Amino acid sequence: MTMALSGQYMTNGLLAAGVLLLKVLAVIMPITVVVAYLTYVERKVIGYMQRRIGPHRVGYRGLLQPFADVFKLLLKEVLVPASANRFLFLTAPFLALVPALATWAVVPFWRGAALANVDAGLLYVLAMTSMTVYGIILAGWSSNSKYALLGAMRSAAQMVAYEIAMGFALVGVIMASNSLNLDRIVVAQAGGLHHWYIWPLLPLAVVYFICGVAETNRAPFDVAEGESEIVAGFHVEYSGAGFALFFLAEYANMILISALVSIFFVGGWLSPFEGLVPILGKPGLHWLALKMAFFLFCFLWFRATFPRYRYDQIMRLGWKVFIPLTLLWIGLECVWKAVGFGPWF
Amino acid sequence: MLPALPFYLASAFLIGASLGVVGSRNPVYAALFLVLAFVSAAVLWLLAGAEFLAMALVVVYVGAVMVLFLFVVMMIDVRLAVLHRSFVRYLPLGVLVAVAMMVQIIAALRGLAQGAGHAFPEGGNTEALGTLIYTRFLYPFEIAGLILLLAIVAAIALTLRRREGTRHQDPGRQVLVRKQDRLRLWRLPPHQASGEQLPASAQREDT
Amino acid sequence: MLAAYLAIPFFLVVAAGIGLFALAAGFVLGPRRPDPRKAAPYECGFEAFEDAHMPFDVRYYLVAILFILFDLEITFLFPWAVSLNHIGTAGLLAMVAFLLVLTIGFIYEWRKGALEWE
Repeated sequence: MTMALSGQYMTNGLLAAGVLLLKVLAVIMPITVVVAYLTYVERKVIGYMQRRIGPHRVGYRGLLQPFADVFKLLLKEVLVPASANRFLFLTAPFLALVPALATWAVVPFWRGAALANVDAGLLYVLAMTSMTVYGIILAGWSSNSKYALLGAMRSAAQMVAYEIAMGFALVGVIMASNSLNLDRIVVAQAGGLHHWYIWPLLPLAVVYFICGVAETNRAPFDVAEGESEIVAGFHVEYSGAGFALFFLAEYANMILISALVSIFFVGGWLSPFEGLVPILGKPGLHWLALKMAFFLFCFLWFRATFPRYRYDQIMRLGWKVFIPLTLLWIGLECVWKAVGFGPWF
Repeated sequence: MLPALPFYLASAFLIGASLGVVGSRNPVYAALFLVLAFVSAAVLWLLAGAEFLAMALVVVYVGAVMVLFLFVVMMIDVRLAVLHRSFVRYLPLGVLVAVAMMVQIIAALRGLAQGAGHAFPEGGNTEALGTLIYTRFLYPFEIAGLILLLAIVAAIALTLRRREGTRHQDPGRQVLVRKQDRLRLWRLPPHQASGEQLPASAQREDT
Repeated sequence: MLAAYLAIPFFLVVAAGIGLFALAAGFVLGPRRPDPRKAAPYECGFEAFEDAHMPFDVRYYLVAILFILFDLEITFLFPWAVSLNHIGTAGLLAMVAFLLVLTIGFIYEWRKGALEWE
């Protein structure tokens, strides 16, 4: 009797685990597809901005280009430099990739749709973001190459500086929402366009997004892989699949930053026409996707437009502009909290 | 048995990683084992219901302190044999410290044993913790602020060295530059193209 | 509460699985033609003439230390911001005082030139 009961218990447990696994795959698989097509869109967008047409050979209008790229990368030789630390060299891409994908556990796609709808969701995001630096440091160190080490040190110091401003900007969001749960942060912005946090927290939103660009080592903050100075920076020694993993991590992080900015500042899955237009006013995944698409476009736009920052300018912007600005805004929010301000405080 | 599985798993990882910290010859491996130990400890805290502390442990120790450790350890060229000898030499002292800590922990836990339990307040324990820190434990909190200030001053005093002769740009001064500082206009009298020198009567025109 | 965290280990496993799959595919599908020149660290065509693990400017350590301190500050700010509705004006002012103390530290850093990157 007890055996049968525990057997049933086991079966139910396994069934639940299987369902959860499918759900996790249902989140991660679309992300990898979006990553693949983000590379295509990036080349197209930058191409058109530079009066070229971008990839157009593989498939209709080059639509199969990402698959060609993936197969090419997987068919290349995985090189491990002779003087490298083999184990760490092969571990580093995992340390970059796993946090980039695991953070999605707490991202709500619509009301209550986060797979891990935890109370400390925002802290979890911060914890995972702080882990991404390990992949870069270890890649740089284990390669035993000067360019790789230089790129890793630069990018580590840069990420560290921008992580602080990022944390302060998030404190501003929590002060308004009084919750660390990403779901509740969005719900707190319900009630129409003017309830979104972008209005009272506009400087924080700008700081957060720019920090996100810097954290993902994207242009104009891509000194970590500044081609003209240190070739490809921390992943100069990587080829084939190892390089593909760093690439996947970088693009997954871009998508993640876009999702987080949308959730923290522009109402996540909420509609801008909430309460105004009958059908358009309905919340849903499509609104989140639309907002994310806009921020992703900004990533590409920046890359096509801005020249690369000099390293001392990057450090100056992070420490001397963003940190004081966010601190100032937190002070301002304290005042708002005390006297009340609009629909937000 | 099954619900306790994560606890035993995380504990095993913690013990294994700690052994790795003291046992590995490569200091970078030791630092990485320490990272693993911190993460396992965070999982244990999470299992005990200390949500905020678990995340803070990862953010502060894994995300910041260990990055500094790695910065330092990655650059030093440690002679591995020397490291091994000192391991044996410091073993008695290490055991002594370990025993002392264990006695302290047991002593501390004995007082807590009865009535200890964890609560999951509504809205998560971050909120509950905040409500306590900023009302009942306000004084220690402000002292923590002063200690952090002290740490900032100390860190700068210990590590800030101005290097002489570096060529660096100061964006603030760059944008303050005006035309007069950089550009001088000279009015030259017209002269034949016979290759004669600049006449001494050339006038400087700037103001 | 803990049940909500259940998805996270699944995410970790799936993410690591994707990485493992890609790396294994790379090793299986890719060619393997070892060559001492190919396996040498890249240095723009020169032979690497020393170990790449060189000491760095102490400034990097200073940045890392300052980062730890600011990170601690942020971990103090998070529970405060969450519980703002329960701690009243006294709690609000407590944090203002805390931040003022640390702003002094920040100004000190600035004036000392610790944030300068030459």
